[in-house]
Amino acid sequence: MSRSRSLVWLSALLPVVLLGALLVVFYRTSGGLRFEAPAPVENIAFERLVFNGDEMVAHVRNVGPSETTIAQVQVGWTNRASWEFSVEPSATIPRLGTARVHIPYPWVAGEPYEVVLFTAAGLPFSTSVDVAAPTPQFNADNFGAFAMLGIYVGVIPVFLGILWLPFLRQLGKAGYGFLLSLTVGLLVFLGVDALHEALETELPGPFQGVALTVIGVSLSLLGLTVLARWIAERRAGMANRALLLAYLVAFGIGVHNLGEGLAIGGAYALGQIATGAMLIIGFMIHNLTEGIAVVAPIVRSQIGAGEDAVEWSHLLWLGALAGAPTILGSSLGAFAPSPALAVLFLAIGAGAVFQVVIEIVMQMRRAAAEDPGAAAVGVLNPANVAGFLAGLAVMYVTGLFVSV
Amino acid sequence: MRGFAVPQKGAAVLFFLLGGAAAILVWWAQPDRGVRANQAGAPRGGHGHHVPPTKGSERYQYAYPAVKRLPADQVFNPVPPPPEAKPVHEYTLVVEENVEHEVAPGIKIPAWTFNGSVPGPVLRAREGETIRVKLVNHGTQPHTIHFHGIHPAPMDGVFELVPPGQSYTYEFVAQPYGVFPYHCHSNPSSQHIQNGLYGMMIIDPKEGRPPVKEMAMVMSAFDLDRDGEADFYSWNGKAFQYADNPIELKAGEPVRMYVLNIFEEMMAPHIHGNMFQLIRSGTALKSNELTDVVALGIAERAILEFHYDYPGTYMFQCHFSEHMELGLMGWFRVTGDAKGKPAKASAPDALAGHLGAGEGKR
Repeated sequence: MSRSRSLVWLSALLPVVLLGALLVVFYRTSGGLRFEAPAPVENIAFERLVFNGDEMVAHVRNVGPSETTIAQVQVGWTNRASWEFSVEPSATIPRLGTARVHIPYPWVAGEPYEVVLFTAAGLPFSTSVDVAAPTPQFNADNFGAFAMLGIYVGVIPVFLGILWLPFLRQLGKAGYGFLLSLTVGLLVFLGVDALHEALETELPGPFQGVALTVIGVSLSLLGLTVLARWIAERRAGMANRALLLAYLVAFGIGVHNLGEGLAIGGAYALGQIATGAMLIIGFMIHNLTEGIAVVAPIVRSQIGAGEDAVEWSHLLWLGALAGAPTILGSSLGAFAPSPALAVLFLAIGAGAVFQVVIEIVMQMRRAAAEDPGAAAVGVLNPANVAGFLAGLAVMYVTGLFVSV
Repeated sequence: MRGFAVPQKGAAVLFFLLGGAAAILVWWAQPDRGVRANQAGAPRGGHGHHVPPTKGSERYQYAYPAVKRLPADQVFNPVPPPPEAKPVHEYTLVVEENVEHEVAPGIKIPAWTFNGSVPGPVLRAREGETIRVKLVNHGTQPHTIHFHGIHPAPMDGVFELVPPGQSYTYEFVAQPYGVFPYHCHSNPSSQHIQNGLYGMMIIDPKEGRPPVKEMAMVMSAFDLDRDGEADFYSWNGKAFQYADNPIELKAGEPVRMYVLNIFEEMMAPHIHGNMFQLIRSGTALKSNELTDVVALGIAERAILEFHYDYPGTYMFQCHFSEHMELGLMGWFRVTGDAKGKPAKASAPDALAGHLGAGEGKR
């Protein structure tokens, strides 16, 4: 028994061990293959370009297949100029390693600049900004400013949306269906938008942006499905399926907003957003709809104390769960921008939002099945279809404000 | 009743919280406060936010390059061979491809070379003497040498492609006197030339020119990523080499500088703190123009004759700022006693600390 068991394990390990041996042989002898690159293959990715009082600092990562050395630096304005520089920790950067290139260039605010790094093999890599501006330093004032940015674009709109609750509670059955469908429309739009943004964000090759997106979507889509089932089964008696659904919606939107905050904060810090105020206004209008989505599942629930009621404090928690991650996102995005992280969270947010869409639709189907009057038509009654389309339309129109 | 009242209370609390948040926002968003938060850490005073680079600031803008300087033994010797009277001047030029060439400190590119260097060696003869150049092709492409000047068609280096592994001998009477380029004319010539197959030929007048200190300077550029825009410009093939290793001159010492532009852009050699006698194309014995800058189109050349009155460090550059900033600049370090009134000349030398040992001390 134990003998056969160890044999099983051995058989599992055998391919791995053999592969290891093969790799050692290959590494030492090249395995008889002579594939020499005709030209050096190098790749340097810029992760950040910081403008300080008396220097530019390029944060770079070696995303090529082997180590590389930065040999010369040029700064471009109307034309390029070689410039002195120093590299921390070392001008020779290992694969996937990072370095900071300090360039004591007397840059002037408002001017466009290009930074070009030449490797020892003579390959140039460059990045540029249209308008140079001092990079926000990490201090209490600036942290506060970016936290406020998050509050503006994330928290306030969600809570304002929640304030529609008393009005929404006046809706009849068809109106409620319309509202849930509207929410589904909003969420589908958000999810597709986030997916698009995640796929569009350019990540250096080794970070595999598409794969990262697939992982993020799967993680939240499947993870939340399992979690929701688990909670529902554990608390089978819980009458508040609606509340659970509301929390799922809030969570999905929250993760989405974290990714959105990362993107906004990063863009703001890099000076890429010229019309900052317009964009913030746009996001406030755009995100107002998220408040509706959060409370839609509990519109028909009893609010207040009681067996099946939803305590009003839940409204605060729901709003916070949906909106507050924006604060974290915008601050992180401003002071520690990471495109990979932004992509991951956009993808996780997209998956979470799609999971919520599935939950809401399933709940609507259950409700339709239980309602003898609606059973024939099912979910796709005119009110629901109109709601879904209205949701898409609302997001599209408010989205016009945030397109730059 | 109760179910109705409580949400009212909840809504009231929500309103209250939002009102408080709004108040904080209004306070936060005071115009000056917003600006301050955004600009924190930024220097004040608009454009004047950086200290001008000065000696000792470690930021002096011509302290190229910070990481690695070109060692003296890597510098292209700017002194041409001396004029030598003999009936036949024999040269052998060996073409090699993929010769490692340090185009700028720390950057090594594969170059195509005559005798291992970019530019190739200076060829020199007197008018009327014979120049015989044997081209040996050690490359993988056919190559030629095309000389400027007056010679028979078979010596023009256009039709007679020299295949890899073979050689060809060019022979012609040196005429007329002047400064000339030579370069490979094998197609695609842009590739053969820009990869480094070019050099300068000096034909002296029969009676010779007065013997003085001489320099031969080829102006060229290198497009490392083949995007149609040069990445580095240089005197004699290496960006900043005479900035890292200044050329020593003596005050009052006459200097003759042979200059050739072999790149496909206009170049404008310019020397600082001085004027030069210009002999365009080197085809006259005497200059008829005193200036301090001259525009040279592709393949144009000139002789610049000058001497420095005052000791100190002077830039010699291409006046196109981009060319200068990408390597087409260097220093003359002039030592000795000032000729004429020295009062102004003894101003502190801003570069003394950056150019090594205090040879320039007065």
